[in-house]
Amino acid sequence: MVRTAAERAFIPARHVLEEFGDMMILTARTIWSALRPPYPYGGELVSQFLFALRLCWFPLLVSTVCLCYAAPGLQAANFLTLFGALDRLGGFFVLGAIREIGPNVTAIVLAGVAGTAITADLGARKIREELDALQVLGVDPVKNLVVPRFLALMVVTGLFDIYALLFGIFGGILAELVNGQPLGPFWATLFANASTTDLWGSVLKTTIYGAIIAIVCCYKGMSASGGAEGVGRAVNEAVVLAFTAIFAFDYVFTQTLLATHPAILVIK
Amino acid sequence: MAEEQPGGSPRADGDGRGDEFEFHTGTIRPSREPDAIEFIEVHKSFGRNHVLRGLNMALPENSISMIIGPSGTGKSVCIKHIVGLLYPDEGDVIVHGKSIPSLSDAELFEARKKFGVLFQDGALFGSLTLWDNIAFPLRQHTEKSEEEIAEIVNRRMREVGLGGEGAKMPNELSGGMRKRAGFARSLVLDPEIVLFDEPDSGLDPVRTALLCELIKEVHAENGGCYVVITHDILSARRVGQHISVLWKGRIVESGPADELFESENPFVRQFLSGASAGPLGME
Ligand SMILES: Nc1ncnc2c1ncn2[C@@H]1O[C@H](COP(=O)(O)OP(=O)(O)OP(=O)(O)O)[C@@H](O)[C@H]1O
Ligand SMILES: [Mg+2]
Repeated sequence: MVRTAAERAFIPARHVLEEFGDMMILTARTIWSALRPPYPYGGELVSQFLFALRLCWFPLLVSTVCLCYAAPGLQAANFLTLFGALDRLGGFFVLGAIREIGPNVTAIVLAGVAGTAITADLGARKIREELDALQVLGVDPVKNLVVPRFLALMVVTGLFDIYALLFGIFGGILAELVNGQPLGPFWATLFANASTTDLWGSVLKTTIYGAIIAIVCCYKGMSASGGAEGVGRAVNEAVVLAFTAIFAFDYVFTQTLLATHPAILVIK
Repeated sequence: MAEEQPGGSPRADGDGRGDEFEFHTGTIRPSREPDAIEFIEVHKSFGRNHVLRGLNMALPENSISMIIGPSGTGKSVCIKHIVGLLYPDEGDVIVHGKSIPSLSDAELFEARKKFGVLFQDGALFGSLTLWDNIAFPLRQHTEKSEEEIAEIVNRRMREVGLGGEGAKMPNELSGGMRKRAGFARSLVLDPEIVLFDEPDSGLDPVRTALLCELIKEVHAENGGCYVVITHDILSARRVGQHISVLWKGRIVESGPADELFESENPFVRQFLSGASAGPLGME
């Protein structure tokens, strides 16, 4: 009885650790094959880049404008009105929108829209034995399929972060206007608090998010098994795992950035 | 393995069913050719599912070998071991004297050039047209000009009755058509070792007969080691020169086709005659 209970806890735990290890190996192999010649993945890289761009631009636009308008915009504005300090909303936007909401909404939209498409695509190919056939025909799936998706997602997520920041700030402007405020103080506190560290930190963070999404989603797709149902399961697991990994990484990254750049802790 | 060998290994499987292998005499009747592919005491498990359980199998050079056996005994798993897509947990797989599991990535890449593989479900690339699918190995592995490629591809497509369908995408084809396209793709490089996983399943009887003729023709033309997995005893009779009967992850009996069709082994007799009475049930 005790033994079976222990086993029941142990087997999933071991499974999780094994999977984590496999993903680390996949990451290393992906980076290694990306750097080592030949470079046959250019075409696929461009098409994956455009694919992600096409799928994500609209959902991301809606998500960032609405979320930034609603969360830091309306809610924080309500709170700041208490102190008659609505001009501080710009400063708050640096903390909320640039550092957290922009990158995280970008990651959620990319994982949910582009990541799942990748898992479903690779999963279907795995189930149809296409990946096996490729390998037998001398095509390395990591170099030809994972590397272009990895690079494309990193670039797309990094770029989309800037796009999300712009539309997020637009949400803030909306909130100011709704509250009948002039925009001058919003910009003033925004630029007083924003530093280049904030910008590069935000872009770097999302670029790494892109890498995480690509590895998780490619891994789950390529290890799908059990027919069409297995592909569905893989997609589901990929989303759950990607979100978890992103938020866990967010914590580590934010903590590290604040510790190494104490200047950005000071709110002006 | 030129001499007569006694039964499979005495290895205990730990599942306590002692007589599970009572029909597995493991007799390997000598064939006239040297072995191109050898499985030596291969064990392979997927989790708790022990699929290959001490498989000893030899597939001769220059002949068409059939692997037959009940569904789910690990025939497709065998093929994946031969091309290095799966690695044995124990034992060794030897192709032309080289141990496949111990090859490096680069050596495996080289070794794979001599294989032509038809996977069970065709495994066509969904993003390419039929024509590009069949041309893929030529573009990947040879320096041939587009005209030469076109000539080979068109010939192979005509042979399998797909002439004129080249512009279609794989998802617009029927299962049998995908199978035939995969068949054509596996042969474009004139490989030394050809592995067909159920080339005849999903085809109508006439096409099956024609496909069998085609396999014989291509083999007569190119030679080499052809391995065909099938459930169709008629096909096995038509093209098989060597037969290995696989059951529960081991060889029941193997040898030249004519000798195996005369075998006294109750399982082999049941399977080769497709009778419902005998050692094999639905389980
Ligand atoms: N990649 C895999 N992961 C887990 N189990 C597998 C895998 N491949 C095969 N199996 C299991 O191995 C066993 C043998 O499978 P295999 O596909 O070789 O059967 P088969 O002899 O080809 O049957 P069929 O004639 O129906 O095609 C099955 O029980 C299957 O579930
Ligand atoms: Mg099979």
